[in-house]
Amino acid sequence: MKKNKITTFIALALIVLAGAAFIQQTKITVKGSDTMVILAQRWAEIYMKQHPETSIQVTGGGSGVGLAALINGTTDIANSSRPIKNSEIEKLKSRYNTLGVEIPCAKDGITVFLNESNKVNELSLKQLSDIYTGKITNWKEVGGADASITLYGRENSSGTYVYFKETVVKADYAAACQTLPGTAAVVNAVKKDKYGIGYGGAAYAEGVKHCMVKKDANSPAYLPTAENIAKNQYPVTRYLYMYLRNRPTGDLKKFIDWILSPDGQKVVTGVGYFPVK
Amino acid sequence: MSTMKKIITVFLIAAATSYGYAQVNVDSLNEQVIIHEGKINALDERVLLNEGDLEKLKKIKVSGYIQAQFEAYQGGLIAKENDPKTSFFIRRARIKFTYEATDGIRFVLQPDFSTGNLSLKDAYALAYLPKLRSLTLWAGQFNRPNYEVEYSSSQREVTERSRMIRTIYPGEREVGAKLEFNPSEIPLKMQLAVLNGNFKGTELLDVDSKKDLMARATYSFALADNRVGIDVGAHGYYGGLMAKNKYVLNYENGLDSLDTNKGTYLDKKWGGAEFQAFFDWLGGMSLKGEFIAGRNAYPGDSKTNPYKTKQFSGYYIYLIKNIGKKNQFATRFDNFDPNTTLSGDAAGKDVYYNTFTFAWQYYLNDNIRFTLNYGIPLNEKNATYPEDIKDNTFTIRAQAKF
Repeated sequence: MKKNKITTFIALALIVLAGAAFIQQTKITVKGSDTMVILAQRWAEIYMKQHPETSIQVTGGGSGVGLAALINGTTDIANSSRPIKNSEIEKLKSRYNTLGVEIPCAKDGITVFLNESNKVNELSLKQLSDIYTGKITNWKEVGGADASITLYGRENSSGTYVYFKETVVKADYAAACQTLPGTAAVVNAVKKDKYGIGYGGAAYAEGVKHCMVKKDANSPAYLPTAENIAKNQYPVTRYLYMYLRNRPTGDLKKFIDWILSPDGQKVVTGVGYFPVK
Repeated sequence: MSTMKKIITVFLIAAATSYGYAQVNVDSLNEQVIIHEGKINALDERVLLNEGDLEKLKKIKVSGYIQAQFEAYQGGLIAKENDPKTSFFIRRARIKFTYEATDGIRFVLQPDFSTGNLSLKDAYALAYLPKLRSLTLWAGQFNRPNYEVEYSSSQREVTERSRMIRTIYPGEREVGAKLEFNPSEIPLKMQLAVLNGNFKGTELLDVDSKKDLMARATYSFALADNRVGIDVGAHGYYGGLMAKNKYVLNYENGLDSLDTNKGTYLDKKWGGAEFQAFFDWLGGMSLKGEFIAGRNAYPGDSKTNPYKTKQFSGYYIYLIKNIGKKNQFATRFDNFDPNTTLSGDAAGKDVYYNTFTFAWQYYLNDNIRFTLNYGIPLNEKNATYPEDIKDNTFTIRAQAKF
């Protein structure tokens, strides 16, 4: 009899534990990339209207902040405008025993912003690198006015900062580069500064000029338009990602499936990014 | 006409008055703007100054953890009669200071303040080699390149490392220099270290002139659409310990007292293979293991405490299962035979151990976790140890990490 009781207790304990692994989420938290914050908010607003039983909370902070929150368990989805780093995967392995789940959910062309009065219309990747590393400091060196270049960029917790550094700058940013919180702040700074230059997601580019970018001096220059990004002609094209700790289930899976559906991808276009499908 | 004149005069006076008043207002506004501009400029300067100070502070990172625990000991053969059966215990109390002098140059200092055990755990400088951002050079006191050694105690799912690792890598750290190649494009990591080779935590200098070499390489790959991640690797140790007298206990536990022993290097050579597999299955699961075998040497000082040489082997296997976001179950089986040449009564005190460990973690949040851990070491039985030593230990640990 005593043995039976122990067996029943163990069986019940196992059922409870197994059940705990399947607990359905009704509140979804999304944190991370500032580049993606408007897009994520639109997704959340539309999805919550269609699914009132689901509550979605969206905050920014930067890709690094989002991924750190994913690792420490304070967010369900980390938005990131750069691929996850090996060191972050190692942390997921150590805490959750998984590699995480990467979901490309939109495409973006990192736009180089210039003041509308700037004579310069196009720059090569090499020129951009030289500008952001501080080798080129005057606009006249790239065909502009005889005036010092003011550099604006993102904080190092930003995925855009990391992506632009690894893809374009390929060295350390010049010390003179002013770091600003969010692409919107970069756009605003360049709008007010005749000799400013900044970078960020295309969705924020209002009141400033988009600079055409070319791979090298002999290549054609391209604007970050939908067509050029879809054809991978614009040289600074990247994916925007959502990261999860595990394969999604329940409401989380429904939300992600909707994001990747034609309806969800329509929102991507509406915000100014480019669909993955 | 005179009425008209009067109206014009009144109008002119009113206009002049209002112009004068407006002029006064503009002047006053200009004055205010100048005053506020001055204030804003002063604030700007202060902000710049504060930003400069903040930048300097951002170069220093402080982290650490405290592990306070309650232990219950089974007691028995090796326990003395009046030894306590239970105790509270501060296992680790560490603060890690990292100073990033410039991009790619880092200094790390980590003391351990646990009661009665103030010690320096890490003290090293790390530099990314110019134009080779995947290559780092380490110099100072740091973890030996081995999976279980490098896996932080603040993350480990059971309270202590396996018996084999604790024996061959005492104190985990060594003093020396290390090159680490860790490219971001490929999931490969290679480490090559030159070490004093005899560090246990307090030795100021090496005990001999030859330096020991350690190398480790790991490669990671994913299967089944990233649902399974597998890391495989190997590491090797190539070193020696110089006998400073003629008394050496050979592999058969026989005492050699040849004059030629003095000045010879006793082998410290071993190799090992490791794997870690991660499965995205109902909340995450992993299976980890490592096997190491080779020859080790231990210091001595006299005929009664001679140098010792031993052939050893051992392995460990972990099974870890996450249950939801906050709970985790872990079990480990580890085996260590400190002298594979001898067994049974001939092994004397060098009996092998099979140890079962069961642990449960509860993560209250990112900073706090609680652990229940039960370790069951089972020793080989021989004339020296005719029964299993009663050395099981139950631990309740609270860890605060910041």
